[in-house]
Amino acid sequence: MYTSTGFISWLLRRISGIALVLYLFMHLWVIGSANSGPEVFDARLNAVQTPLFKLFEIALLAAVVYHAFDGIRLLIVHYFDVTEYRKSLFYAVFAVAAILTIAGGVPILLFMLNG
Amino acid sequence: MRTFQMQRYSAIALLVFLTIHMIVVHYPPFHIDFGIILERMESPVWKVIDIAFLFFVLMHALTGAYMVITDFESAFNYRKGLAWAAIVIGVAAFFYGSATIWAFQPPV
Amino acid sequence: MSNNNAQRTVTVRIQRFNPDTDKKPYMQDYQVEMKPGMTVLDALHEIKTHQDGTVTYRRSCRHAICGSCAMHINGRNTLACNTPLKNEVTHKNTVTIGPLPYLPVIKDMVVDRTTFWEEYLRVKPWLIPPDDIPEKEFRMSQDEVKALHDAETCIMCGACYSSCAVIGLNKKYIGPHALLKSFMRVLDPRDSSPAERLEEVSGADGVYRCHTIFNCIDACPKGLNPTQAIETLRKLAQKRQKLEEARRERQKHLNEPIPA
Repeated sequence: MYTSTGFISWLLRRISGIALVLYLFMHLWVIGSANSGPEVFDARLNAVQTPLFKLFEIALLAAVVYHAFDGIRLLIVHYFDVTEYRKSLFYAVFAVAAILTIAGGVPILLFMLNG
Repeated sequence: MRTFQMQRYSAIALLVFLTIHMIVVHYPPFHIDFGIILERMESPVWKVIDIAFLFFVLMHALTGAYMVITDFESAFNYRKGLAWAAIVIGVAAFFYGSATIWAFQPPV
Repeated sequence: MSNNNAQRTVTVRIQRFNPDTDKKPYMQDYQVEMKPGMTVLDALHEIKTHQDGTVTYRRSCRHAICGSCAMHINGRNTLACNTPLKNEVTHKNTVTIGPLPYLPVIKDMVVDRTTFWEEYLRVKPWLIPPDDIPEKEFRMSQDEVKALHDAETCIMCGACYSSCAVIGLNKKYIGPHALLKSFMRVLDPRDSSPAERLEEVSGADGVYRCHTIFNCIDACPKGLNPTQAIETLRKLAQKRQKLEEARRERQKHLNEPIPA
């Protein structure tokens, strides 16, 4: 095993990516209930708006935000010659993802607690 | 090369679409139900945007999963079959998802 | 200053593995007296000559040009011969040495590099000259030489190859070392088949299998940049016919002086 910032970033990208693929198909299934009419849709949507799923939503937000900003980093590396600044870019992505997760996660938590 | 290009271009598209999706769907208040979505989905423009979003998200998800799986040497030899499986899943999910987007019609 | 030059004993932890007697690798500690200017390779020599003759490793030139002694030292790949022992000693007064990761271990620090050389030969690392060779020398501009210069100093030590996480999963991947060679030939104005080379490296096991982890840059003892080379190949692979035509045009003027 050869651990480095790049390796950790790659591992997180993989894990968040796989999680998002699984989420996508779950999401298709939940929203897909609209095929069977508004009542079924609202019932299934209410089933996934419990506090437990709100916690999952924060994890989902973290995965989306990290995956997106890591993707932006890769685009920057591809289109510009910036391999020199690779370490700074990693840390920038980690920081931005953490800040946005907290900024988005706190309202979700408050909503969950206040109902 | 094709897989990589599909993944890159769909990634760029997703940066735009996902931002729109996050803002319009999840902007407070957090409560959503059929009626709220219907208000927006009555416009055909939103239907087209959502179908395009679905197309790119499936492309990105399936190319991504394909890349993750074929990174393993044991799966690498079966990459032709895996690619076809991804295409079949993608087409099926696309039609299912499009039907869903279409289903957001005012109740008659 | 006197403190720095004073001799002190350091613990060298070496990963041992003998396929005839051991089921799996284990760590063994040796005490080495650190002399001024001692490298990690010197410490290994000290152990092999005076303490334990069974410690096995590859080495040859001991001035960082043969590429034999690449090892995993304190969690990163580097050459044992140009790494000062003093810099590697941790606060626990130890240096940990192991074989290159992700490769099959033959014995102690000796690894099987078969796939490394196979992939190297696969990208045809030699120059394919144009049909009509100039009477005197090939003439290249400063910029053309500059683009290849770094890649030419690669010593084929395998540090980048065995730091690559993709290689850890899939040995069919061409690998950073061979892609760097391919990059060097693709950009070389004397080479006559850039499109064919790009075709070879743009498959499922080529440049698009790289996940931009940057371990190869961190590992390279010569400070080369395989990641940038791979990114460049990715861009060029998408317009290889254009490059091929430009190369044909360029090769008509290989024996002419470069306009200043």
